[in-house]
Amino acid sequence: MTIYTRGGYALPGSSLAFKTGTWRVQKPRHVHAAAPCHAVCPAGEDAQAWLAKVDEGDAQAAWRTLVSVNPLPAVTGRVCPHPCESACNRGDMDAPIAIHAVERYLGDEAIRNGWDFGLAPPPADARQVAVIGAGPGGLTAAYHLLKRGLRPVLFDKNPTAGGTLLTAIPSYRLPRDVLNAEVEHLLSLPIEYRPRTILGREVSLDELRQQYAAIILAPGQQKPRPWSVDGVTPKDLHEGLTLLEGWNGHQSAPAPYSAAVVGAGNTAIDVARVLKRAGVTEVHVISHKAKPGPGVPEDDVMPALAREITQAEEEGIRIHEHRGVRRLLLRGERVVGVEMVHMKKLRRANGRLARVAFDGTETVLHVDQVIPAVGQVLDTRGFEGLLGGQGWFDLDDVMRVAGQRNVFVAGDAGGNAGTVTAAVGQGRVAAAAVAQLLRGEDPVIEAPRLGVPYAQLNVHYHEPAPRVVERVLPVAERGECDEVDLGLDRHEVEAESRRCLSCGNCMACDNCWTLCPDSAVLKTQEIASDGSHYVFDYDYCKGCGLCAAECPCGYIEMIEDL
Amino acid sequence: MSATDSQTAEVKVDIAQLRRRQPRFQGLESGHRACLGCGEALAARLVLESAGPNVMIANATGCLEVFSTAWPESAWRVPWVHSLFENTAAVAAGMEAALKHQRQTAKVLAFAGDGGTFDIGFQAVSGMLERGHNVMFVCFDNEAYMNTGIQRSGSTPHAAATTTSPAGRERMGKRHLKKDIVSIISAHHIPYAATATVAYPSDLRKKVRRAIDVEGPSFLHVHSPCPLGWGHDSDKSIQVSRLAVETGLFPIIELERGELTSVMPIRHPRPVVEYLKLQNRFRHLFADDARAREELEHLQALADYNIEVYGLLGDGPDPLDTNGVDSVRRGGAKWA
Repeated sequence: MTIYTRGGYALPGSSLAFKTGTWRVQKPRHVHAAAPCHAVCPAGEDAQAWLAKVDEGDAQAAWRTLVSVNPLPAVTGRVCPHPCESACNRGDMDAPIAIHAVERYLGDEAIRNGWDFGLAPPPADARQVAVIGAGPGGLTAAYHLLKRGLRPVLFDKNPTAGGTLLTAIPSYRLPRDVLNAEVEHLLSLPIEYRPRTILGREVSLDELRQQYAAIILAPGQQKPRPWSVDGVTPKDLHEGLTLLEGWNGHQSAPAPYSAAVVGAGNTAIDVARVLKRAGVTEVHVISHKAKPGPGVPEDDVMPALAREITQAEEEGIRIHEHRGVRRLLLRGERVVGVEMVHMKKLRRANGRLARVAFDGTETVLHVDQVIPAVGQVLDTRGFEGLLGGQGWFDLDDVMRVAGQRNVFVAGDAGGNAGTVTAAVGQGRVAAAAVAQLLRGEDPVIEAPRLGVPYAQLNVHYHEPAPRVVERVLPVAERGECDEVDLGLDRHEVEAESRRCLSCGNCMACDNCWTLCPDSAVLKTQEIASDGSHYVFDYDYCKGCGLCAAECPCGYIEMIEDL
Repeated sequence: MSATDSQTAEVKVDIAQLRRRQPRFQGLESGHRACLGCGEALAARLVLESAGPNVMIANATGCLEVFSTAWPESAWRVPWVHSLFENTAAVAAGMEAALKHQRQTAKVLAFAGDGGTFDIGFQAVSGMLERGHNVMFVCFDNEAYMNTGIQRSGSTPHAAATTTSPAGRERMGKRHLKKDIVSIISAHHIPYAATATVAYPSDLRKKVRRAIDVEGPSFLHVHSPCPLGWGHDSDKSIQVSRLAVETGLFPIIELERGELTSVMPIRHPRPVVEYLKLQNRFRHLFADDARAREELEHLQALADYNIEVYGLLGDGPDPLDTNGVDSVRRGGAKWA
């Protein structure tokens, strides 16, 4: 035993021998929760993840992260109603990140630079899966099948792939060179494409069942929803979707002096703007919902993209909000006007929402043509047998047709997509389910992740910065096909990505490492196994919670540790 | 991990190895016995991080000394001398003279709490400054004698309750004002004196470097929240310290030869109640009591006075103001 004489000595003993971690009653933990943009994305994109890569200055890595989920970013960046931006936490601080514009930039860069998807051809013994319909749902399904080592065979009735993107979206919104480049980029992968093949004519469902290990149906909704006003339809009825097909296919559209489009969605706005471009002088849109604006409840906003509505109004289109068509004014069978009435969706005594028309608010709109754009329904030809007599599919969580083992549905055909992005998401879900099934597992859907709420971030550490203002083509210069949104340049995209609050994910800011009074947060050169750049040294962590409180990203949570 | 395939492979980390590889100078090691969320422990580590290894410390009796050196262990990784409560500055002055005689270059740091600086150690500090010793004196200000059980000091702010200035029928906490120590120190005409806080580590580090580089005595006054003595949650230390700055109660300033040379502008001045309501030592000020209301107004007036005297209101966003100076960047660039 050492004998100490009087006086002060310090043994060369370090306090590291004393493990203060034993004092702890709670401990910090890294939690990679979903950013709100990720949680709400119908395609399942993690925008936070690829914005981080853009911030790091690596656009190609950002694109790769993006296309690991959505292979059509140049398309969705242009046409998606971006619920991600509505959910973006940055909106609580100043304005949401322009996620759609960054996505579009990455898609365009990939086309411009010919970036490679980096997918290997499927192994020689890969099982074949039939995908019906080369629209956004079918293309995405084929891509994700290939990604999972299967061999997709993609059928479409048209010579060119693209589906709804080609027929229903006008080129001033989605230029054909961009669409074709992105689709061709996808089809340059080892995906077998069989155009001009119609299910029920060139090939039957039973043949497919025999030849393929599984089938993904993505035929879209091809038939206009029947429309009439109390059973009356004008004789020269042009239906919105058909009109768009004609315009997009061969630049032809009816051109009366004036027209009213009935509907509130993108198709209605597209039809109205196409009519304007075809030379119609007066174009009206009759919407039962309201234009987007501050204070308008979410379920009362027109489903069309806000910027499309603004641009339509710039172009001289009149939007009548909260109006319905009560009566067609006919002279013979020719339309001379419509009788509109104020309408609102109200909750009835039974709790159900119903559209209510208010008597005494009728007004007459003099127009030469009425064009319904009230949605589409399924064209069931070729797979009537799967529907059990109904006009729609009965699907489970993984998009599998009820009562079928290996038949899945993606996109509008399933009935609840409604947007290109949702179709992309369903294409991925269906492909993942097929892959699971063919591995002999029971297909399960990944659990939805909740978004990190704004209150969980420490926004003190983020500087306010204005959202980029996207340039648009001036109204006078908008030709028949010129793209109206002009996109962002590299500097704008990088500035925008720097605005990202990195919700729920570590941005390696060093706050926890710097502010731990016990030096119990250690920095790693390698990214730690949980995705962060730091590890907790629980030997010394006393559980004070400073790291969690000062984490700007909400990436650290305190849990009980008794 | 869900849809994205960006997850990296698991990295096996040897924590002890990793601790040795940290890219900073760890002058105050883990294993010290400071309370949870201790502002002083954080402040001391941050000061040493920037001061670097070529330093020696004279440390006054107090929390910092007690929690860092539980016999037979020490958390210090630089030469460290424990002085009496009152004579740190004198001990540091002697160390500096000895090093000078030996022609050594190590900088001597004197560490003391507010008791060891404002009150008990004051004459030694004043003497050291007057004699012009090349010492950096750091006062870790937690605004009371925390080590002995939260007795009021010359630094305790007006109206704060301590065990010797309790709030009750007679008094609303401390009757007197917080001593303006930086002005007193600066009046010694020393080359560099500054205030800083644990809420703004990059600002603190910059000031440590300046105080080290200066030839002659320099003084650093570091606001260091004490969760136990101030009565706030341990995870609020940084927020409390930040609010002390943003309210104007603790101005962040630099004084050279007695002249004000820079201030950290406040981007969004906060009402003092935001600072006060986080801490139990000011809890009595929120009672339904006319004296409490008066004291709240008094504290607000003290903050307004600081804002006016030091010109703390900036004009527009500034990368070095209370919001700009610690805004985060991906990859931690802000701390560089």
